[in-house]
Amino acid sequence: MSDTVIRTEKLTKSFNGVQALKSLDLEVPRNSIFGFLGPNGAGKTTTIKLLLGLVRPTSGSAAVFDHDIVGDTIDVRRRIGYLVQEPHYYEYMSAREILRFTARFFYEGPKESIAERVSDTLELVGLADKADRPIEGFSGGERQRLGIGQAQVNKPDLLILDEPAASLDPMGRRDVLAIMEKLREHSTVFYSTHILDDVQRVSDTVAILNEGELIAQASIEELLAGSRGTVYAIELRGDAAAARARLRDQSWVADIHVVPDTDTVEWHVSVSDDRAAEEQLLRLMLADEQTTVTRFGRLTYKLEDVFMDLVEGNGNGS
Amino acid sequence: MAVSVPLEPVTDRGWLVGFGNMVDKEYASWWRTRRGLVHLLLWLTVINAFLFLVGTDESVARGHNPYETLAELIQVFLRVGGLFATIGVVVSTQSAVLGERQLGTAEWVLSKPLTRPAFLLSKLLVNGLSFLFLAVVIPTVVLYLQSLLHAWMQPPLVPFLGGLSLHVLHLTFYLAFTLVLGTLFRGRGAISGVAIGFLFAGLILPNFFPSLMEWLPWALPSLAALAGMERSLPDGWYLPVITTVLWTLLCVLVALWRFEREEF
Repeated sequence: MSDTVIRTEKLTKSFNGVQALKSLDLEVPRNSIFGFLGPNGAGKTTTIKLLLGLVRPTSGSAAVFDHDIVGDTIDVRRRIGYLVQEPHYYEYMSAREILRFTARFFYEGPKESIAERVSDTLELVGLADKADRPIEGFSGGERQRLGIGQAQVNKPDLLILDEPAASLDPMGRRDVLAIMEKLREHSTVFYSTHILDDVQRVSDTVAILNEGELIAQASIEELLAGSRGTVYAIELRGDAAAARARLRDQSWVADIHVVPDTDTVEWHVSVSDDRAAEEQLLRLMLADEQTTVTRFGRLTYKLEDVFMDLVEGNGNGS
Repeated sequence: MAVSVPLEPVTDRGWLVGFGNMVDKEYASWWRTRRGLVHLLLWLTVINAFLFLVGTDESVARGHNPYETLAELIQVFLRVGGLFATIGVVVSTQSAVLGERQLGTAEWVLSKPLTRPAFLLSKLLVNGLSFLFLAVVIPTVVLYLQSLLHAWMQPPLVPFLGGLSLHVLHLTFYLAFTLVLGTLFRGRGAISGVAIGFLFAGLILPNFFPSLMEWLPWALPSLAALAGMERSLPDGWYLPVITTVLWTLLCVLVALWRFEREEF
C-alpha cells in the first residue's frame, strides 16, 4: 500500500487558452491534514475538481490511491468525501434525507445499517436535533456542517474540503476544525483555504499555489524554519555602534537589520550557524559595556509571514 | 439490543453506476413535493376543463350527433391538448440539467460515484414517465369519463391508443430535444426559445416546404388525431414516425456525448 494518497505529475489545466494550473507536481502523504493554500484564483479549486473528475486535465496526469483520475474516476470517487466550496443541496430534502441519498451512492444496504450510519453522522456534525427539517431553512453554519457530514458519511479514506471554513463565524470555524481533527484518525484530509491561522493550527503538511504554480510544499515546521533562516531579535539601550561592529566581524552573522521606527534600538540578526549563534551571540552582547540588552530571543514566524514572502516573491505582491 | 449489520459497499461497474439512487431522487422531486400536484391540477385544468368547454359548446352539442361530438373531443384532446402538453414538457424539462448546473447540485452529486449517463438518463426516464402520467394518462382517463357525459359514448380503445402512442412519441421527442438543448445552452430562455420556436415552426414552415413533414415530428399531432378518430391515415404516415424515433435517439445520444464533456 502506497504512502502517497494523491500524486500529480505535470498536471495542467487551461480554460480558453488561459492556464489555470501549470504543470503541478504534488504528493499528499497518507493520514496527513494537508493544507492547500493560495490566493484567490491560484488554482486550488481547479486542482480539486481535476482530482474528482469534474474537469479534465489539459495535460499531465494524476492518481488518487493509485487510481487514474480520468480512467478510474468512479474508483477514485468511491474513496473520497468532498465538500464543495459553496455547498448547495436539494432544498426539499431534510438533512437526514441528504445524508441517506449520499450514503446510497456508496452502500447498498441493509437499510437499517445505512440509517444507523446517517444517525451517527448527524451526531458527529451536531445536526441530530435538526435532522428532519427541510434544509431550505438552514443557516450557513448548519449547511457547512451538513456539508462535512455528507463528505464523510462514507467514512472516506480521503476527505477533500474546498474552503471549509471560509463563510463561517469564529465559532463555526472552531467547530469545523474540531471535526477535521476528529476525522484525521481514519482519513487523509486535503483541504484548500486562505485562512492561515487555521492551517497553522491543524495542518501537518502544506502546499502553496500561486498563479497556477506550486511554489512550496513542506511540513509546517520545515516551512516556518526554512523561510528566512534563523533570526535573533535583540532590543537594547545605549551606544550600540561598537557592539554592532563586533557582531559584524563574526563569520556566522549573515546580516544585521536595524528595525526602524522603534523607541529603542532593535536589531534582527540573521545567522548562518545556529550553534555558534546559540553559544556566542548573547555572550557577545552582554560583554559590551556601553549597551544594555533589554530583550533577546529567537524570532518565530507565523505561516502568514511565510505565505506572504513566498507569494510576493513569486510575483503576486501587488 | 439491535445488532449492527455491516454495510455492503456498492461494487457496480459500468456506465450506469448510481442510476438507481438518482432515479429514486428524481421520483422524490416529483412525488414528495408539490410538483406532482401542481402538474396534476394544471393538466386537468388545461386539457380536461378545456374539453368540458368544448363539449358543452352549443355549436358542438347542437347537431346531437354523438359520433361528431366524440370526434371533436378526440381531435381537441390530441391536437390542442397535445400542443399545450408539448409546451409543458419543454417548460418542465428546460431546467432539469441547467437548473442543477446553475445551483451547483450537479457538481455535488457528480463528485460521488455517479456516472454522467446515469445522471442524465435518470432525468430523462423519471421526468418523462412522471410528465406522461400527469399530462397524458390521467387526462385520458378523465377524457373517457367526459366523453360519456358529452357524447354518451367512449373513444374506440385500440385506435385511440394508437393515436395516443403517436402523441406520446411526439412528447418524448420534445423531452429529449429539450434535454439536449439543456446540455448545449446556458440560459433557460435559449432552451425554451429554441424548443418552442421549433414547435411553432412546424405550424408555418410545412406550408412552404411540405416535404419537411416526412422528416420531422411536425406531422405527428395530426396523425395522432386521425388515428384516434379511427380515420384512415395518409400514405407514408410511418415516415415521420420512424424519423421522430431516430431524432429522439439522436437527441439522447448527443445529450450524453455533450454532458460527458461538460466541466463543472
